[in-house]
Amino acid sequence: MAESALQARRELDPLPLIEGRHDDGTLNKTLLDYVWQRPQPGWLTLFFIGMGGTGLLLAGIAVTLAKGIGMWGNNIPVAWAFGIINFVWWIGIGHAGTLISAILLLFQQKWRTSINRFAEAMTLFAVMQAGLFPVLHLGRPWFAYWLFPYPSTNSIWPQFKSPLMWDVFAVSTYFTTSLLFWYLGLIPDLASLRDASAKRSTRFIYGVFAIGWRGSARHWHHYKIAYLLLAGLATPLVLSVHTIVSWDFALSILPGWHTTIFPPYFVAGAVFSGFAMVLTLMVPARRFLKLKHVITLRHLEAMSKVMLLTGLIVAYGYLMEHFIAWYSGDEFESHVFFQTRARGPYRGIYYLMIFCNIVVPQSFWFPWARRNVFYLWIASVLINVGMWCERFVIVVTSLHQDFIPANWAMYYPTWVDFSLLFGTIAFFGTLFLLFLKYLPAVAATELKELRHELEHEWLEGAKR
Amino acid sequence: MKRYVLGEFGEPEDCVEALRKLHEAGVQGLDAYSPYPLHGSDEALELPRSKVPLVALTGGVFGALGGYVMQAWMNGVDFAINVGNRPPHGFWTNIPITFESGVLLSVLSIFFSAIFYFFALPRPYHPVFESEQFRTASLDAFWVSIETEEEEPVADLEEKLRSTGARRVHTVVESA
Repeated sequence: MAESALQARRELDPLPLIEGRHDDGTLNKTLLDYVWQRPQPGWLTLFFIGMGGTGLLLAGIAVTLAKGIGMWGNNIPVAWAFGIINFVWWIGIGHAGTLISAILLLFQQKWRTSINRFAEAMTLFAVMQAGLFPVLHLGRPWFAYWLFPYPSTNSIWPQFKSPLMWDVFAVSTYFTTSLLFWYLGLIPDLASLRDASAKRSTRFIYGVFAIGWRGSARHWHHYKIAYLLLAGLATPLVLSVHTIVSWDFALSILPGWHTTIFPPYFVAGAVFSGFAMVLTLMVPARRFLKLKHVITLRHLEAMSKVMLLTGLIVAYGYLMEHFIAWYSGDEFESHVFFQTRARGPYRGIYYLMIFCNIVVPQSFWFPWARRNVFYLWIASVLINVGMWCERFVIVVTSLHQDFIPANWAMYYPTWVDFSLLFGTIAFFGTLFLLFLKYLPAVAATELKELRHELEHEWLEGAKR
Repeated sequence: MKRYVLGEFGEPEDCVEALRKLHEAGVQGLDAYSPYPLHGSDEALELPRSKVPLVALTGGVFGALGGYVMQAWMNGVDFAINVGNRPPHGFWTNIPITFESGVLLSVLSIFFSAIFYFFALPRPYHPVFESEQFRTASLDAFWVSIETEEEEPVADLEEKLRSTGARRVHTVVESA
């Protein structure tokens, strides 16, 4: 009986979380050793491309600061364009990191352990990119600190009834929480790097960041609970952040924005795009860092299942928006959904969005699509593109044809818009490359613990 | 000068078992060091419940209260903005920032109390780092330490550690 149950379980769960037999020593070696190696030519090439792109970002920022946001394609009525599209896109990407590190931890999903560090780093870097856009869009970014309630000689306070103010608090809280959570998780690994380093210089540098961690049982006692509590707080936080981002739109009265479905639909979309970005980065990284034994097909498959689920929620969101537009009988609502979006001048982007976000993830119903690494990578890139298009559709199509036809105008992005978009992608990539080179991309501490647990489970199973 | 008698174990279970035996034998100043949390070490050392949740709750409550009061006072009292004759103090519109500031203060208090108070870090020097072999404590071995002020019980404690099955035992002395 026990034997057949085990057999059945093996058939249901055929892919291992860690491939091959390992002990703590071999895991240390495979997870930490690439930090000591000299950068490979491929890494250097990508790094220089990233630095070049970051230069483009700096040029875009310089032009924006020197000449003002007139250099962007924004106009009236399309006062919100690339700035907000990119902000929402980046912050959405960040959400997968918190989902993996916090929500899956609370649900005790073992497959999160190999990818959480990676995803958390992605969150941090994505939120950094996201934060740039609203600040630049202020017009006078050097007064960005006016957003915070500090006692000034002007003796005025911010207007807290505005969702834009909520955003300031939500995004800054989110960044702080992600950073502290990430660092707390890194401390034991930094200590491992300190103790594994052969050179005095690296021992010193990692030692400084490990702040004297010695893995004392009395410390782990508090550490475990602190980590769990941070995860518990990050979970509602991540939901609140994208809910508040969606309220930037939903609390206005513009057709196409003013809907109650926005918060859940935005959160699902955020997770959807975030998982796609994790895959986009992970598929090449696991190959070049030789991490295939800890980031197995099982992980990739689990991530594609999450994308299938969240993709379906997003599809439901699209469907419901269109249904309510028709069902309400509201002329302006119908105009946005059935004229501007589906048949208007930006319909190409609308159909690209439908294809990338609804059609592409349906392939994940089939095991071959979930296990073919190359296909997964292509699909994840397409989903990233699709989610960018979704934000374009939401922002631009709703604005460019509003209530009065006399107000209508087309929106065309300028080279500055594109340099900011591609510049942030490059800057994000550069930060990520530095992370991959100098820090353990897989949480070695947690993985060693997982290996120990799995071995015990296996021994228990064998005994029965 | 403090002395630390250190013993190394290859398996986490052996380490916890040794810890339990030594604690039951009434040995004072016990601690263990491991690359990842040891299951059962809290019970073996009979550590009291962690106060971190209390700190988190306090931070969260003060953050949320502070966030609410800040908004109510700034927008409702000190600088009331009349928008379409809506009441300057809006309960529902204060909720998002109240929640965010509650989370923020809770997170900050968890993190900084853990680092500075519960772990008493940053601490660049600790006597256990005197031992070059102790480097394995963050990699692939499990250590038990016994802290003592005097020199005379050291030999006895080393013997006790050896009898629990430690594969390497030695003593480090705090440098002056």
